[in-house]
Amino acid sequence: MTAQSPSPVFTAQFNINDQEFSLAGVLRPHSTAEIADDLLLLRNGIETVSGVLYVNLKRVTHMNSTAFRALTRVLVDASRLRPEIKFVVVASSVVAWAARMFRHLSDLSPNIALEIYDSAFYPGQTFVENKSFIPILRTQTKMTWRHEREILPRHGLRNGMVIADICCGIGDFAMLVRKEFGPARIVALDHSSPSLDYARDVAERFDVRDIEYTYGDASQMLFESDQFDFVTCRHSLQIFDRPELLLRELYRICKPGGRVYITNEKNSHCLGEPRADSIQWTYNEVAKLFSHFDMDVEMGPKSLRLLLDAGFEAVKMESFMVTNLDGDPQEFADVIAAWRDVYAGEMSVRRGDSAEFIERFKQGFADHIFAALHPKGYAGWPIWAASGRKPL
Amino acid sequence: MDMASFTADWLHCDQLSNYVARMVSHDRRDPVRHSNLLSSALNELLEMSFRSEANDGEFVCNFYRCQETERIELIFPCPTEQRQFYRKIVLGLKNRRAVINYCNLITNDAASDGQAILLGLVVNYDAEIQIRDLGIGTLAFIVDLPLERLLN
Repeated sequence: MTAQSPSPVFTAQFNINDQEFSLAGVLRPHSTAEIADDLLLLRNGIETVSGVLYVNLKRVTHMNSTAFRALTRVLVDASRLRPEIKFVVVASSVVAWAARMFRHLSDLSPNIALEIYDSAFYPGQTFVENKSFIPILRTQTKMTWRHEREILPRHGLRNGMVIADICCGIGDFAMLVRKEFGPARIVALDHSSPSLDYARDVAERFDVRDIEYTYGDASQMLFESDQFDFVTCRHSLQIFDRPELLLRELYRICKPGGRVYITNEKNSHCLGEPRADSIQWTYNEVAKLFSHFDMDVEMGPKSLRLLLDAGFEAVKMESFMVTNLDGDPQEFADVIAAWRDVYAGEMSVRRGDSAEFIERFKQGFADHIFAALHPKGYAGWPIWAASGRKPL
Repeated sequence: MDMASFTADWLHCDQLSNYVARMVSHDRRDPVRHSNLLSSALNELLEMSFRSEANDGEFVCNFYRCQETERIELIFPCPTEQRQFYRKIVLGLKNRRAVINYCNLITNDAASDGQAILLGLVVNYDAEIQIRDLGIGTLAFIVDLPLERLLN
């Protein structure tokens, strides 16, 4: 006889308030009997719901045929017994097998629908996916890198580490870290296919083959736990409506003793001289605008609390000011112009702002550009960098 | 490896599929997603061999790669009756009604795991499956998986 170890870890939960049955982890049972209790939980849950039942599979990284068939049978049987209920199976676009396997359920029953959980989860994603924003992202990274290359070693980044850059965007930061710090391995993850395509093209042009670009959901990554010495997540927690969820994942993939490094802004602290008042007004409004879309671009100084609440220790925090005096002032001006176009353009319009408001809103950006390009002017963009160590 | 070693623990299917998938996916376009998808497909095949109920002999898993396709060659000891059973399934895979057959099969308690797995690989992974009876109680599955195409 063979010894049978239990299957890899997974969890099943039923939330009565959300009418949601959720599975997480790896479901590779040897037999249906191994998951009988979980299927019973689902059956019992179905008895209690009305309207819609959600079956959340976003956090299932693997499921074998045994589990898939067992789950399918329960759902198909239930959809026939209770035709008044709509069953919505929610899978992640990141987990390719799930979308391909569960698409068949709607063929088996008209009451079962498959929903692919996607970029709607990231409220800010659509605003930065526009290709015209790419040159600006490049310039931003170039401007912040002048500071961060000095800052990162203070937060524990050393040569030869295993690094993950989460929410890597167009991949420039990963490229710079690779060049400066020679990591043993570097993985760069983002949820934007156009950004990753761009990053891969750049890497290919530069004959860089050792950055692993991956399409992924930062709130549920396919990476195994305790894997990276150093995890970076720059300017991204602030455009996510549930930063604590992201931090939990950053914590999970970081090795015990490793560090997670985050950067965030406080937009209302952007400043400039001359025309300080107009600039100040506009950036206060930027913060309110982002808040309207469930993003917190005032997050910078909150990084200490966020990291401590997530369980990190030995938190280090510092701030730096990107200014028009760093390098070419035109670069700073170009970045502000791009902010103006997106914030006072697409975002403000989508919020339904009046023409008068948008005019005044734009003026602050114009004054910031004026300050940046004025021979005696000063323009600043403050950023907070923080890191925390995962306890051993 | 010895078939007896492989079948000593069900977890070997999970562990081997994850390990091998990660190893062979490292230089693919998106190594993490590629590895996740490959592990899923490979695990199905490993589980099928695990259930072959033959403990004597060798279990061999070879990998080949050609452009966007991964080829898994799985050789394992398999009793005569089961070899015939698998041969019959593989012959029936190239059916135009594959999706309909698969949908019927996944809700049918009486359908065999092997049938569900092989048809699942064809329908969900666009796999091309060949079978070779090597005699002396051994069977070979050759499975081509166009994973890079599925990821994009």
